[in-house]
Amino acid sequence: MYAPNNNASSSARAILMEFLVRSWEYRRPRLWIGVRFACGIFNVALGLLLLAFVHQLGQLTWLAAIPLAGAVLIFWTVYQLQQDSVRRVQELEQSRAHVVDDSAARLRRIERDLHDGAQAQLVAVTMKLGLATKKVGRMIDGAEPVDLDRVMDLVAAAHHGAKEAVTELRDLARGIHPPVLDQGLGIALTTLAARSELPVELVIDLPERPSAAIETIAYFCAAELLTNVTKHSGARRATLEAVHAPGLLRVRVNDDGCGGARVEAGGGLAGLADRISTVDGRLGLRSPAGGPSEITVELPSRA
Amino acid sequence: MRIVIADDSAVVRVGLIEILADSGHEVVAAVGTADDLIAAVDEHRPDAAVVDVRMPPGYTDEGLRAAIAIRRDHPGTGVLVFSQYIETRYAADLLGAASGGGAAGVGYLLKDRVAEVDDFVEALSRVAAGGTALDPEVVTQLLSASRASRNDGIATLTAREHEVLALMAEGRSNAAIAGILVVSERSVEKHVGNIFAKLSLAPSDADHRRVLAVLRYLES
Repeated sequence: MYAPNNNASSSARAILMEFLVRSWEYRRPRLWIGVRFACGIFNVALGLLLLAFVHQLGQLTWLAAIPLAGAVLIFWTVYQLQQDSVRRVQELEQSRAHVVDDSAARLRRIERDLHDGAQAQLVAVTMKLGLATKKVGRMIDGAEPVDLDRVMDLVAAAHHGAKEAVTELRDLARGIHPPVLDQGLGIALTTLAARSELPVELVIDLPERPSAAIETIAYFCAAELLTNVTKHSGARRATLEAVHAPGLLRVRVNDDGCGGARVEAGGGLAGLADRISTVDGRLGLRSPAGGPSEITVELPSRA
Repeated sequence: MRIVIADDSAVVRVGLIEILADSGHEVVAAVGTADDLIAAVDEHRPDAAVVDVRMPPGYTDEGLRAAIAIRRDHPGTGVLVFSQYIETRYAADLLGAASGGGAAGVGYLLKDRVAEVDDFVEALSRVAAGGTALDPEVVTQLLSASRASRNDGIATLTAREHEVLALMAEGRSNAAIAGILVVSERSVEKHVGNIFAKLSLAPSDADHRRVLAVLRYLES
């Protein structure tokens, strides 16, 4: 399916990520910068000491260059780490802004869906039942001729509307948090693939469960990608892979469609990329015009 | 009555047409946007318009702004705004627009109230006849808001007078208020008189004073 070296490099990166997340370096950055500084100063002192004894050293004076070069190297890494953390803070600020925008947009969409969908539907149901109640009351009082067909029509229409509202609420609830996700990402993706209009081949290898937030993001990415395949690519079949190596969850969707997918501002893929970046994940896209397309989402195991 | 309906939801429009037709009223136009609403009112000059607050394209308060414009341009058309949520601010805007013309002819109801078909149709008739119809929910919110504020006149009202004023704000007549509170019409009149006195509304046109009392209440 994919080249073995690709696999190897991915898992090497996964191990590196795991190491970074678990390491003391990551948890106690100040302590480690302190240790580096101490080493650097020690090296400088050593170099200077060697230089002070330049007469005794004679031809071996160049030895003093070793600790001094070491000190330069150490200070350089400290500087690099510092730069790295500045970059990291900028990235976090950006991704936090995405999270806030994303959740505000999601809430607005949910409110709109409720307002236009189930709420309107239920208002119509109460109207019909209100009218039916009034009519039956008037029929009982003899103020109106008994017309059961008319009442039946109203009640049947209300019944139909209530059922539609239930369906809409269920779809909406599933859009917020698919209950099947509680059973694990593997089962949720199997359900997703089964619901797809296209035949989807599944490759699932999830020996351990990623954290809940990661599973949710992975699920919605897979759902969006499969929807895109169905709607835009004209593909006849698709493959959905979910592989969990230590520290890294990879979800990949392949299709045999027309290709040409792009990340455009405001588009669905850009939205996915934003959501993925909030947990330090990555969206990879290979979709030449004429196809086939391959979209890869890589997420850390924990968020 | 001849009525224009504006709601972006087709199921709600159909439901309203059914209810109003059943009560013997004629729906002359049912539209889905604020622009169409204004065009329909210009064309048909209806007795009343039933207007949803949120409509395309912005889905914010297009309906409310259209309602205010209709009250300004067509004094003969009562406007009943109905919505899935209550904004006290909207009620104040609406009544403010109405008082400019001297008469009320506005209403603001939660969509849920449509379930009580007769009450809804009665409220619409009241609005068409130049009265007011405010949702009890609006009144409750205004009541708690006015308790929190420092308006002297409102603050001196007794609990019973508050209740009477709240029902007045909903647009009820003295007889209706007496029925709801299970007291005699005579004692309702006494309460209303006390309210007018406490809000310093000089005895003149009694109906107009009711509107002024409600406005005082809204502004507090």
